[in-house]
Amino acid sequence: MEYKLIKLEKIQDFINALIASGKQVLAPKQKKEKVFFSLVGSFDEIAMDYIQTAFSAKSAVFPKCEELYTFEKNGKDTILHNPPAPENDTIVFGMRPCDGAAFDYLTTFFLKENPDYHFKMRYDKTIFVGLTCSSGDEFCFCTSVGISPSDTRGSDLMLTKTENGYYMEIITEKGKKLVEQFSNFFEQTEQIDKTKYTANIQKRFDSSALKEKISGAFNWERWEETSLPCFGCGTCAFSCPTCTCFDIQDEANLVGGARYRIWDTCALGIFTKHASGHNPREKQSERWRNRILHKFLYTDEQFGTLSCVGCGRCIRNCPAELSIIEQVNAIMEG
Amino acid sequence: MSELINKVSQFFSSGIIDLFIGYKKGRLGEGKPAFFTKPEQLNELIFDENCIVNLAVYLRKPELKKYSKIGVLANFGTLRALLQLAAENQIADGQYLILTVADGKVLEFANLKAIEEYVANNLPKPNPERIAFLKEIESKSREERWEFWTRELASCIRCYACRAACPLCYCEQCLVECNQPQWVGVPPTGMGNLEWHIVRAMHLAGRCIGCGECEAACPMEIPIGFLTQKLNMAIISNFGQVPGTKLEPDYALSTFKVDDKENFIR
Repeated sequence: MEYKLIKLEKIQDFINALIASGKQVLAPKQKKEKVFFSLVGSFDEIAMDYIQTAFSAKSAVFPKCEELYTFEKNGKDTILHNPPAPENDTIVFGMRPCDGAAFDYLTTFFLKENPDYHFKMRYDKTIFVGLTCSSGDEFCFCTSVGISPSDTRGSDLMLTKTENGYYMEIITEKGKKLVEQFSNFFEQTEQIDKTKYTANIQKRFDSSALKEKISGAFNWERWEETSLPCFGCGTCAFSCPTCTCFDIQDEANLVGGARYRIWDTCALGIFTKHASGHNPREKQSERWRNRILHKFLYTDEQFGTLSCVGCGRCIRNCPAELSIIEQVNAIMEG
Repeated sequence: MSELINKVSQFFSSGIIDLFIGYKKGRLGEGKPAFFTKPEQLNELIFDENCIVNLAVYLRKPELKKYSKIGVLANFGTLRALLQLAAENQIADGQYLILTVADGKVLEFANLKAIEEYVANNLPKPNPERIAFLKEIESKSREERWEFWTRELASCIRCYACRAACPLCYCEQCLVECNQPQWVGVPPTGMGNLEWHIVRAMHLAGRCIGCGECEAACPMEIPIGFLTQKLNMAIISNFGQVPGTKLEPDYALSTFKVDDKENFIR
């Protein structure tokens, strides 16, 4: 692996040069009280001092709404058009290691068996620049699910802030190409030990012990009691870096229209409602159970990986303050 | 707090309630919703001005049907929501045991009429900061207002957290879920988002009790509470109706009177 250093005063020039070159830079930006990944027009707009963005970086490749294709009527025929591929690269800047690790799961889900055209189209044009966490909060629990706050998984380039500047690990070919293109911003450096610059994230539960316990948890009698404060807003799933469920919707008029893929969530009653009116997940507690088991059991069975990366967004964003950490620990207690 | 805990504890031991919905200490010291089924859990029960979640939203949960009588620790927004729900025939007198704490004293409401009196005597003045913000929007030109709202609503992800958090959004099937015909565009695009928020605001016009839960639940920080607040102000000034203050149905947008002064309605 190659290592570089960006001096603190150079990071601004680097980002601005990326933008000037026509690349789209998706970076953490303060809105009101929360920080969101947003397209930025200059380095000044970027929030560099934040624990976690309110929503994950998945939207760079799996946006809240995307055109699958457009259609138009032509006499008796219907003509379909694929959406155009993005022309320019998107740089996701300042992605946390948990979000990076989420791409392990997302790429398994979207690309492994039947590669998803739309996901791939964006993923191929996106460069992920990760940023080591120098601090965390009580809702961070990446270490409980096998991820470290300086994990390089899913990142093409990985930055770690040191007293000399941003230490950069060049992880992938994609990352290397970008560095070569903007080589005047970087200096050569040796490998360093990142521990000193990495947050100490406490382990909140033991995922291997959970694995044993959760396989029989479907009929656990406390699902209802532990999920009573949930009123089904779905924010946990929408802000989750690994939630992939989507709905497909058309918008059309008499001459044509578009088919969209939009985010969906198992927290909503309509998610499983049958045309007959029957709903196999009638109550919120059953939807809550599905979410927890999906994260810690179902994807493990299906893909051999947990689909929770410990980013803590579902806890921070929950208006009823439900906590996936408390939930998991309650399951462990039995 | 001990008076409250003692009182609720007695309700449990005398078999008056088998579930109590209140608050316990949340992550930042504010109150978070809590469900108590045994008196020994009540040491966690708290109530103060930082207990802002409107607990009336929980009363429609099917999980609660198995409880024979539920007690609710109501903040002011919850009391108003209960009145509005009663006016709309969604809850019945005596169905719930309703408590609040005022001036450090626990108040038990004998019936909904008692809540109506309490609310009438304690109605707060509108928050001046919110009024100032509304005035600021009103002072803009039509084009500027359009630009403001289309920009704000563009970030909506259509999670419907606003709907889920609203104690008055209790429809079994929301209009936005109707697809034959599809009245409102579902994809979170500009037009669909605008349609959804207009529909939501219009359905709450004259019914919104102003608890602010929709805005608090919005994960995208969209100031959606101002839409219903603005419509409510128009209804209050034109019809004198204040939602969540009366047990009798009093609803400007669905009341028909034969002596209506408008000709088009006859």
